[in-house]
Amino acid sequence: MVEFLQFTLSGAVFGMVYAAIALSLVLIWRGTRLLNYAQGGMAMFTTYVAIEVIYKTGSYWAGFVVALAAGVVLGAICERGVVRLTTGKPPLNAVIVTIGLLILLEGLAGILYGGQYRSFPPAFSIIGLRVGHTPIGVSRFDVFVAAAVLVTTLAFAAAFRYTAAGLRLRATAFNPTIARLSGIRVARVLTVGWALAGLLGALAGVLVSPSTFLYPNSMDTIFVYGFTAAVIGGLESPVGSVVGGLLLGIVLSYVGGYLGSQGPDLTALVALGILVVVLMIRPDGLFAGARLRRV
Amino acid sequence: MSDALEVDGLVAGYGEVIALDDVHVSAEAGAITAVLGANGAGKTTLLRAISGMIKPRRGRVLLDGADMAGRSPEQMVRAGVAHVPEGQGVIAELTVEENLRIGMMSRRPNRAERSAALDESYERFRPLADRRRKLASTLSGGERQMLVIARALLARPRVLLLDEPSLGLAPRVMAQVMDLVVRLSREQGLTIVLVEQNARSALAVADHGLVLNLGRVVAAADAPTLAADVALRHHYLGF
Repeated sequence: MVEFLQFTLSGAVFGMVYAAIALSLVLIWRGTRLLNYAQGGMAMFTTYVAIEVIYKTGSYWAGFVVALAAGVVLGAICERGVVRLTTGKPPLNAVIVTIGLLILLEGLAGILYGGQYRSFPPAFSIIGLRVGHTPIGVSRFDVFVAAAVLVTTLAFAAAFRYTAAGLRLRATAFNPTIARLSGIRVARVLTVGWALAGLLGALAGVLVSPSTFLYPNSMDTIFVYGFTAAVIGGLESPVGSVVGGLLLGIVLSYVGGYLGSQGPDLTALVALGILVVVLMIRPDGLFAGARLRRV
Repeated sequence: MSDALEVDGLVAGYGEVIALDDVHVSAEAGAITAVLGANGAGKTTLLRAISGMIKPRRGRVLLDGADMAGRSPEQMVRAGVAHVPEGQGVIAELTVEENLRIGMMSRRPNRAERSAALDESYERFRPLADRRRKLASTLSGGERQMLVIARALLARPRVLLLDEPSLGLAPRVMAQVMDLVVRLSREQGLTIVLVEQNARSALAVADHGLVLNLGRVVAAADAPTLAADVALRHHYLGF
């Protein structure tokens, strides 16, 4: 029973990271109908930036803040400089361009920072917390991870709902034609969308890297998990992303925990299995049923 | 009489297709100009080329004498041209009030101006006031048309381009919409370009009209003259 609780809680923490990646994918998908395959690569790159800043300044928080800022800048640059060029071309062009971007970022990281595994420091202690004498499977840092994603998600949700910029983003996502005819500078809004997605990715990168080590491909698996979470949530719904991330994190934690020595190797396989099953049974995601469809 | 909007020698199309060929339009300031013609005559393309949704290949779009051809829709809205596309173009996933707020995005009003403008909209379009917090998807066809026109007006345009505002509406509601169009022109002095499939009802409210056929202007005159031209009605207008 204690074991079950531990697996559930630690799974939920990882799930929050997947949720952050999923949210960043949803943000871009809603605005442009494009799946950003470079999202993981962008997060990896900004985490390298963070690690450099942490080594130079000795301050974790300086690195944390710079990583998020780098995410914003990198997201905006990728949209303006690269993805924008595919506007009006077949959708496949944009897909190939983001895959190219991923390869470019991973290659660049290898050249600049080397290919070896580097450890990334956590913000807080990673020693498991206990209730009485019972370890509950999460550390102070894990609590921080969950809280950081939760706070960011709620802040995003509130900004989307209550600010003019948020309304512009939603209007553009739902109906770019009417947005343009109403005078919204849609191109600028899309850049903002990518910048925010870059921020979420960067957050996921610094939060997950203490557990995974950092290397040029380190975010590939996390991206697949995040993508799976987004698909479970239907690719449209921010709430779906968070729920999808949590579900996936917890299921993968059970797989890794209960299947003994084989477990850790099976998690990626199970994640892909879940992805395939969801796409076959509910291609619109688990949360699509109740939503209104435009006719 | 002066023209608020003049289109001169406009050529526009999609890919290989030429949808508009050497089109001239004069829209008198404060009057209603009806653009008539069959499906595929180029009516919608004309509005899209004026509002910047597509770039004209040749020709000029003169707004109070200044050539605006090739400007983006964002720029055209700021210059005072509001385009209401066909199909009751509300954003169904947003609330009524959010739809209205989008109409003000081109002007950046402050909080007080914004709520005053919204109140004014609700005053004029009373059914919208009761539903301000409801999703636009819950509105009836007539209310949707009301909402898109209200939204367009919030951009404070001088020229209003209306694409088939009566499409898909019940006859009674359609009459209300047409009545609204007339009042916008008479009371507010808006210059209106009204695209309509239903030539009879459009000519009943319009001051001037022009008939498009296969991308060319085949007739342009004041509305009573067009309505009285039996051959024209027979060939192009279907009544």
